[in-house]
Amino acid sequence: MPATRESVPVGSAEEQHPSAEIAFGSTPSVAPFKRPMTLLDVLLTDQHDLSAVERFSIEHAADVLPAQAKYYSRLIPASPPGPGQQYAFDVDLDRCSGCKACVAACHSLNGLDANETWRDVGLLVGGTTSAPVLQHVTMACHHCIDPGCLKGCPVNAYEKDPITGIVRHLDDQCFGCQYCTLACPYDVPKFHADKGIVRKCDMCSSRLAVGEAPACVQACPHEAISIRIVDQRQIVEDAEAALFLPAAPDSQLTLPTTTYRTRRVLPKNMLPADYHAATAQHPHWPLIVMLVLTQLSVGAFLTGLWLESRLDATLMAAVRPLHSVSALLFGLMALAASTMHLGRPQYAFRAVIGLKHSWLSREIVAFGVFAGLAKLYAAGNWFGPSVLPIPPLVLHWIGWGVGISGLVGVGCSVMIYAVTRRALWEFPHTVTRFGLTTGLLGLTATWLTLLVLNASGVTAAETVIANSGRRLCVGILVFATAKLVWEASVFRHLLSRNNPPLKRSATLMTGPLARVTFARFAFGICGGILVPALLLNTLTRDQVTPLSLTLQVGFIFVASLVGELLERFLFFATVAAPRMPGNVR
Amino acid sequence: MIDPMQLLHQRDGRLTRELLLEPGGFGLGRVPAKVKPDATTNMVCGYCSTGCSLKVHLKNGEAINLSPNTDYPVNLGMACPKGWEALTVLDAPDRATTPLLKDASGHQRPVDWPTALTAFVDNFKAIQEKHGKESVAFISTGQMATEEMALLGSVAKFGMGIKHGDGNTRQCMATAVVAYKQAFGFDAPPYTYQDFEESDVLVLVGSNLCLAHPIMWERVMRNKNKPEIIVVDPRFTETAMSATQHLAIAPKSDMDLFYGIARILIEHDWLDHDFIAQHTNGFAEFAEFVSTFTIERVTALTGLTEAAIRKFAETIHSGKRVSFWWTMGVNQSHQGVRTAQALINLALMTGNIGRPGTGANSITGQCNAMGSRLFSNTTNLLGGHDFGNPAHRAKVAGILNIDEAVIPNEASWAYNEILEGVLRGKIKGLWVICTNPAHSWIHQTQCRDILERLDYLVVQDMYHTTETAQYADLVLPAAGWGEKDGTLINSERRHGVIKKVRRAPGQALSDFSIFRLIADAWGCGDMFKEWTSPEAAFRIMQQLSEDQPCDITGIQGYEMLDAAGGVQWPFTKANELEELGLSAGDDGFNTPASQPAQRRLFADGRFCHADGRAKFIFEMPKTMPEPPSDRYPFILLTGRGTASQWHTQTRTSKSDVLRKLYPERIYVEINPADSRRLGIRSGEQVLITSQRGELDATAFITPSVQPGQIFIPMHYESANRLTDAVFDPYSKQPSYKACAANVMKK
Repeated sequence: MPATRESVPVGSAEEQHPSAEIAFGSTPSVAPFKRPMTLLDVLLTDQHDLSAVERFSIEHAADVLPAQAKYYSRLIPASPPGPGQQYAFDVDLDRCSGCKACVAACHSLNGLDANETWRDVGLLVGGTTSAPVLQHVTMACHHCIDPGCLKGCPVNAYEKDPITGIVRHLDDQCFGCQYCTLACPYDVPKFHADKGIVRKCDMCSSRLAVGEAPACVQACPHEAISIRIVDQRQIVEDAEAALFLPAAPDSQLTLPTTTYRTRRVLPKNMLPADYHAATAQHPHWPLIVMLVLTQLSVGAFLTGLWLESRLDATLMAAVRPLHSVSALLFGLMALAASTMHLGRPQYAFRAVIGLKHSWLSREIVAFGVFAGLAKLYAAGNWFGPSVLPIPPLVLHWIGWGVGISGLVGVGCSVMIYAVTRRALWEFPHTVTRFGLTTGLLGLTATWLTLLVLNASGVTAAETVIANSGRRLCVGILVFATAKLVWEASVFRHLLSRNNPPLKRSATLMTGPLARVTFARFAFGICGGILVPALLLNTLTRDQVTPLSLTLQVGFIFVASLVGELLERFLFFATVAAPRMPGNVR
Repeated sequence: MIDPMQLLHQRDGRLTRELLLEPGGFGLGRVPAKVKPDATTNMVCGYCSTGCSLKVHLKNGEAINLSPNTDYPVNLGMACPKGWEALTVLDAPDRATTPLLKDASGHQRPVDWPTALTAFVDNFKAIQEKHGKESVAFISTGQMATEEMALLGSVAKFGMGIKHGDGNTRQCMATAVVAYKQAFGFDAPPYTYQDFEESDVLVLVGSNLCLAHPIMWERVMRNKNKPEIIVVDPRFTETAMSATQHLAIAPKSDMDLFYGIARILIEHDWLDHDFIAQHTNGFAEFAEFVSTFTIERVTALTGLTEAAIRKFAETIHSGKRVSFWWTMGVNQSHQGVRTAQALINLALMTGNIGRPGTGANSITGQCNAMGSRLFSNTTNLLGGHDFGNPAHRAKVAGILNIDEAVIPNEASWAYNEILEGVLRGKIKGLWVICTNPAHSWIHQTQCRDILERLDYLVVQDMYHTTETAQYADLVLPAAGWGEKDGTLINSERRHGVIKKVRRAPGQALSDFSIFRLIADAWGCGDMFKEWTSPEAAFRIMQQLSEDQPCDITGIQGYEMLDAAGGVQWPFTKANELEELGLSAGDDGFNTPASQPAQRRLFADGRFCHADGRAKFIFEMPKTMPEPPSDRYPFILLTGRGTASQWHTQTRTSKSDVLRKLYPERIYVEINPADSRRLGIRSGEQVLITSQRGELDATAFITPSVQPGQIFIPMHYESANRLTDAVFDPYSKQPSYKACAANVMKK
């Protein structure tokens, strides 16, 4: 109790202050003035005195056993799971009335931060006017048999307990890459920006360990949530039969263990209440920059290798230093951007430990190798053998190493998104986008090098432009056209009668994000088709002037880069994440 | 020395420890280590009338967390999200922390209490001197402690000479009050929550328990008698989803339905003749009256099938313990009183009253609606007395030790009459306590116009940002639930204690203290010198209740209420000596073995009318005041949106967790047939209009509303722009539930 405890007698105001004019001498803030307290003084002092509650609080003191156990003891298993079994949430949909007490209880009894919730309640609506169906669905982590979060985590911050099957997140291991938030089809891990980490439901494992029920189980007024032991093989079989929950993501992805049971026959037209809602996803700006610039950098190195294969070595010797250094700089900018995406970048080194299973881990390692080799390659070329005595053949092979490791890195980037199985990020979509970006921006970056060299009066650059300029233009035209056509092909889903994920993406692109979409195609068409065609024409007619070259190449580079950044923004913002049924917002 | 393996793979540390759970003691099980209590105390929740008990976790005397009270006979260890988040909303940044006084430029400026009190007294006294004492009125609430209501009613009426005061309970419970008074002779909901568990037939009318009273629904779900659950509601609600029979009647045809049911019961002689003969009056007239409600007529009016209606009647007949429950669908109607009485009649004629699992039971709205009904000194004189009865006035004057002449000899105007009084120039000053008419009152545009016409408006509230506070000339900062002591009375007549477990912010004071200060500043402080604390006021209330049906003279004080898990009225000095308990039913029903005190009314068949008999009251139903028309072809229904929202959301919108649990923007439910016809897709913005106003809402296409009907939750500020200011003629309760509206694609 506070120090003033003794000076404030326990009891009602009446007992303390028989009249309004009482001198309240022992109250330090008033005593020095030696004036009688007014009624207002008395009431204000009394308002801040919490001691009266003591009268009531004593009765509990001796009590130590959880009183609530009498309600929940039937709702949790009496013994731990056996081999091939695990704990799982079991939801009786017939008892879930949508009160959402479970969400609030989870929040309060787990000490979550003010706006943090680990449980959610969605709504399915269906049936007909004569026989409507409203089904609220409580949900948290499904403690999957094959958890997307755990597989994707580059730092092994997830563990699936070998006995209980509970998927636990190790908060102190997490470095805040948020990849799990993309990899979980159920939107379970939640990023906590202030702390720089993700947190999630652990089925109150420390409660279960001592025979107490998880907060949600304790708090459901209708006993709709319980913990049961499930056979993991049964979960796999049920996933085959898609028995999980109507309108939920395909349970084949991660094999969720929650059982949703009902005695009702749910109609086939059950749709989530938020089925038609088109809400843009988080764009992840650092990732946008990182992806586009790594691809630019890798593409530039690859274009360099292509030029090496068709041009005379002495010509390339003039181009190579600036080209490799500029490609490297873009690559380093990309890697700097990527660390800004980490909640706790100081632990980035931990990413090496997830190499066996995490594409993000592999990406980080591949780009790490790429950056190392690229630095060596650029330095070797820039400073020359007099400063860095690297034999030319070795440097040549290092160049190839840069290209290959870069391609592997881009490939890992593709897989990071492809394995989430989000429709817009499926392998064909992502590999096409990332591959064409690599090609397109690599070519434009190479053009930029040639422009700078040309402007600096390096005659070799002029020769290269005369020799390969048209091919570089044709490459840009082909890559840009292919890419824009591919991206625009998503609009055909607008014709779809139902609302599949790609239609949601197209709806977002043409609705709330229409301006971004317009800008993306405007930059793409101008920077990748119109001006390159103009440049091609200029080159073919041999009417190149330094000014027109500068303007055209400069425009191509900037417009294409901006176009690709916008494309990547839409890539993140318009993806329809698989999700559990939600609510009207 | 840092362990390199730990650096690479860190299983434990600061972040992990942030979420560590520890045994909490006090019967709690594990709690977050960072909010481990050093004491706990129980208090009832301050939102709805269920009256759950919450165990508040204390540290150094201050509340740091809470969880539902495991053993309280109301909620049995459970709470809804509002209850779980009850402490969070006390920390909102828009709490009123000092009085705010409107300056010459029209801005509200912080002032100290003496300045505020002077402004209050000077302005209201000046108005009273110029326009008469009656020209100042007050609008109070069902949300503060009974002791505060009693002190407010006494200070205002006996001290300040205010004649007209009413509460926002007019918006929720007035209909039930009048229905009970006329039928039973006293405003006496007869049931106890245990009846939810002991019925074999539950009839729920205009009541979505699942969302509006989730913890009462808990009790229904615990019913072991495999009950028939009949839901009468135009909407297919969550509760209808769990019903065995859902009667989706045409809006406002419920009275016709119940008269039709009465006719069928009479036709088949499915009556309790003994009960009717011994304990009721007026049955013969009633039987004669309902004879015209033929099945053809009722099917035509309600839109129900004959089979559904007959099955409803048969289910009532076959039930051994039939309980009838109603909420706002009945109360907020142009003929709510007679509709409620139509239900009471069904209970009376089948003898379903006074026994476990039976009753004609009004489920209240606010946490202390019952306190307001008995002790607010508005419609009733303190303690459920009658202003018009000289003996009652003498009794009250004697107990309060005041001059009998200061007690008005008639009841106040009702809420709507007070607002009309402003329009007619009769009311010039208004004191609004703990309610938010600028959001909640029907026909909002008119209400706001009325507030602007006032010479002086004082708003006393926890938050200075309520829609009504924006209009105030003076805002008085009030402590909220959790920051003050007192008692609340729940739907089953249970008195429960609230306690001061948090320090109110800044200069905010409990409403009780504010009323004392005002009495003092007004110059009538001496009249209330015995009202020194809420508990002192409680003792005065006990004396006032003596010999009334709501007699609570047997309660020994707050400690007893706390220890007993609340006490249901009546609890007389005689009761005090009795062993409280409930024996198992004699008809083979499941009655849990160890039940805490369950107290029903009318077990002996004696009602509160002078002759001890209940009355059959009936009247020819009237058509809906504003039926759909060509311009406004839809019927607009309003009601509760989610269990996480409370009324005008002054509190519930202050919790991040609750905000996540309800739709952010106002939405309108539209049937797929209508949306197809109008070309509206789910999620689109639509324009909803009525004769009185318009609003934008997000369309939510759902078969849970009938074609030709739309539903909008009341919690969003613009909802009442559309509603039609129609009132029940007896209860003066606004008819929020049905008006004509149109839906347009934007």
